[in-house]
Amino acid sequence: MGSTVKNALLSSMLLLCVGGAARAADPWQDLLKSLEQKGQKETEPGRPQSSPGGGLDLGIVRALTGFSQEEEVAIGRQVAGNILGAAPLVKDAKLQQYVNRVGRWIASQSERPDLDWHFGVIESNDLNAFAAPGGYIFVTEGLYRSLQSESELAGVLAHEVGHVIKKHHLKILQQSRLVDMGGKVLAKRVGENEHIKNLIGSGAEIFARSLDKNAEFEADRVAVILAARAGYDPFGLPTVLQDIGHVAKDDNRVSLLFKTHPHPDDRLAQLGDAIGDRLDGLKGQTLENRFYRIRP
Amino acid sequence: MNVARSMAALLATFLLAASSALAGEAGTALKADALKAEPFRDAKTVGSLTAGDTVEILKKQGGWFQVKSAKGSGWVRMLSIRRGEARKGSGDAEGVLGLASGRAGTGRVVATTGIRGLGEEDLKAAKYNELELKKAESFGATQAEARKFAAEGKLVARKVEYLAAPDAAKGER
Repeated sequence: MGSTVKNALLSSMLLLCVGGAARAADPWQDLLKSLEQKGQKETEPGRPQSSPGGGLDLGIVRALTGFSQEEEVAIGRQVAGNILGAAPLVKDAKLQQYVNRVGRWIASQSERPDLDWHFGVIESNDLNAFAAPGGYIFVTEGLYRSLQSESELAGVLAHEVGHVIKKHHLKILQQSRLVDMGGKVLAKRVGENEHIKNLIGSGAEIFARSLDKNAEFEADRVAVILAARAGYDPFGLPTVLQDIGHVAKDDNRVSLLFKTHPHPDDRLAQLGDAIGDRLDGLKGQTLENRFYRIRP
Repeated sequence: MNVARSMAALLATFLLAASSALAGEAGTALKADALKAEPFRDAKTVGSLTAGDTVEILKKQGGWFQVKSAKGSGWVRMLSIRRGEARKGSGDAEGVLGLASGRAGTGRVVATTGIRGLGEEDLKAAKYNELELKKAESFGATQAEARKFAAEGKLVARKVEYLAAPDAAKGER
């Protein structure tokens, strides 16, 4: 059994590598999708829980799809708890509630509306935002303060929602999981988890690593569409990228962002090519007046 | 009282700066694109820009900038323009924001605010904080709350298909 599983995994990883994020018809995505649907069917009430005839058994299904949602959330909690250890929430309950409403409305337009999404603004002067698996999303106070409207906030949050729904970080972690198939992640909702700590590395290090640049471009494309679906002006994120684009490269506030992301100019150019005239005539709200401003 | 008044003055300065942040800002055309009389595709073409042309950005509306250039004035897609040039040292909105939040221009920490950077080392050294995480989770909004909030802002959900990657669009269509 062990070697069968390994072979299946290895070939699927090869598929992943060859397929890449840039291709529209990604065989890995298709596989994920069909397996996810299969997983949903199995939890329907009244249906026998045994493995479906002719299909893969559930253990293999889970190994191929990566992590179960429970595992994903447990991983996300650990990462989110770590990043909050480095930068706590800005102490402004109204602010935190506000970003949760904007964020949840954006996430509701995605294919994972039922995930338990959480958003927060954290105490840091940097211009950055972070997404942990399971729907934990944080924006730095520095970035928040540079925003001018709710549609810009929506665009930033939507980019992070994009990382979560495309499971960009989970896919990286899955590679570690392949190396250590023996150490099953035991999902536990409360407190720290040693298995997960081993998986994710120290602290919130995962955010100091870069994702594939195509993952960033993909999250940008998802972001403008989620913002458009939510009724916002879809150009909130591009406006923010243009602002960040002319913060000097040697400015400390953007050093991590510029290190881990393609330059905003490249992101804008990619977005421009992807959008073309697709969003012409799509008006939307910018809601400058409702935008919650942190006290100076 | 005096504090309140000076805070109000600061806020007013900030709002003023924010609303006029674009006016007169320099930009460069990233690629060739048409100048339109109005900010939409079917509007009359009144000129064209080639890559590298410098423009003055007057206004933003949706995905469009109203610009002035040596080749005439009009509306151009914002994604065809790279914003900004030498903004250093000018009293722009960023500077005012920096002051307002107690930051120095370098963006480095001002000790009294307790706000700091979040670099690679900080992330690696981060220690799990369950209490803060619980707090973060306590602010979560339900889908129903989000719907209500959206309705209050007159945000109407609509169907829009995802975008294909540009390379795939060129190669397969």
